[in-house]
Amino acid sequence: MFNRIVDAAKRALGLQMTDRDFTVFPDDTFLVSYPKSGNTWARFLVGNIVRPHENVDFSNINGIVPGPGATSDRELRRMARPRIIKSHQYFDPRYARVIYIARDPRDVAVSQYHFQRKRKLFGDDYPIEKFVERFVAGRTCDYASWGEHVGSWLSTRNGQPGFLLLRYEDMIRDTAHELSRIASFLGLDVTPDVIQKAVAKSSANKMRELEKSQAQMFAITKDTRQDVPFVRAANAGGWRSELPAPLVHRIEAAWAPLMRYLGYELTSPGIEKPGALETILQTATIS
Amino acid sequence: MISRFAAGIRYLFGLHHPGRNLAVLPDDIFLVSYPKSGNTWCRFLIANLVYSQQNPNWGNIDKLIPGPEVATKRYFQRMKRPRIIRSHDPFDPRYKQVIYIVRDPRDVALSQYHHHQKRKLIDESYPFAAFLPRFLAGETNEHGSWKQNVASWLAARHGDSRFLLLRYEDMIASPQLELGKVAEFLTVTATAQDLARAVEQSSPERMRQLEKMNADKNALTKGTRQDLPFVRTAKFGNWKSGMQESSIAAIEAAWAPLMKWLGYELVTRDSRLVEDFAFLASERPVVVQG
Repeated sequence: MFNRIVDAAKRALGLQMTDRDFTVFPDDTFLVSYPKSGNTWARFLVGNIVRPHENVDFSNINGIVPGPGATSDRELRRMARPRIIKSHQYFDPRYARVIYIARDPRDVAVSQYHFQRKRKLFGDDYPIEKFVERFVAGRTCDYASWGEHVGSWLSTRNGQPGFLLLRYEDMIRDTAHELSRIASFLGLDVTPDVIQKAVAKSSANKMRELEKSQAQMFAITKDTRQDVPFVRAANAGGWRSELPAPLVHRIEAAWAPLMRYLGYELTSPGIEKPGALETILQTATIS
Repeated sequence: MISRFAAGIRYLFGLHHPGRNLAVLPDDIFLVSYPKSGNTWCRFLIANLVYSQQNPNWGNIDKLIPGPEVATKRYFQRMKRPRIIRSHDPFDPRYKQVIYIVRDPRDVALSQYHHHQKRKLIDESYPFAAFLPRFLAGETNEHGSWKQNVASWLAARHGDSRFLLLRYEDMIASPQLELGKVAEFLTVTATAQDLARAVEQSSPERMRQLEKMNADKNALTKGTRQDLPFVRTAKFGNWKSGMQESSIAAIEAAWAPLMKWLGYELVTRDSRLVEDFAFLASERPVVVQG
């Protein structure tokens, strides 16, 4: 009962941590991805172009590109608009402007496995086989399965105005180019110099360095194992060496059409070549 | 401030409507559709099959198969399990067992237009041509656009054994057959007579009759214009006579691939040119007849 009183009081004062349940404004832009798909890196990149004269780091990023899980509704309502908000939510019709980052689910699985180790959700000896089984079923986090998440956003919004689809792999390959796409989506007029500096200030090495001294200042890394890094490999294709073949096949079998649509090469024998069905629905562009 | 305080008190005692914060239980079954797609009819069908002793009517249907915006948190906590819950939400991963009803968006647009008149959101002079762009943009309710709602569920769940896709048009054409699928999904044993009886008890005529008796006791009809019925034509294909060609064209231009995938015949374009709805299993509904 006491918890409920506290909860009710927080709610009345707008102090509840929000997650999905907060006030959305029509000029908000959301930086959305499934967990472990490069969202924090993208927040740094965005933060560094929005505030080119500040040093964006783990201690202040939540004030620049806030995450609703770590911010109250009142704090969010008091922010300067237009806001740029980080989110791991599956499709939400209230989000009018969305930058969506997709990442190869095979790499997401590996990354989430290590992150949950870091968060002490299981020990180092927890078998990855068991983890992948739960991952495919969407039981490793509160934001649906990878396929449900990506599918819910792409099927509703891809090809429509107000939706920018990015792939983590492209961001790794040509960060400056993808960041300039983000900048123009945000309607920011930024020079190549600002882009280059933002890329450098958000590099994996720079972020690793910041993480060392600031892990306790960031909600995501606070109170997690400090011997396991948050900024890990920061590359694409790690699954090729880290994920046993049967688990690769398990993931590919679960989400082949969506993976193929996103251009993630499938390695399992017997998975058919792309069909005509998989050209993504582009609703208003058929003439 | 007073209203926030009152809301806080209601919250404290679980007397608020949980909405999307509903605590979902693993054995919950959700009856989901975009608004104006036959959800209330389907609630009556199911209630007349599963809760027939309680004589389902407009006064108790919100108790038998409640919605998170209508019943209180406390009521949900006290419901007998497994609960059958109705919802208009777009994809929600917490809903594990889902019966999803889809309806031709051309008919949905007309139905919602009339329903908005009934709810006094617009009056009769408000032109459909003004309503339609808002409908297409998903601005006429809080559940996304028709396409967003349908596509989010199909992309996430189609092919899952715990996802039952029904079309309103099939339910109209052969209600017993479709209700049989629902019964099987609910693992309820139902004889042909049981199904026939539930269909009979949920017929448009009977629902209209019940609506007259209890419209003031139902969240959907309370406080709305009583000269306009909630149970309207209960048919499909109304758009063919009741909608201008330009409006039909606008809907089809916006959502052709998904409509085609669902078997809704397109009339204003060469359907061979329409790309198909993407990344779904190839198994699809057959073309709507009639």
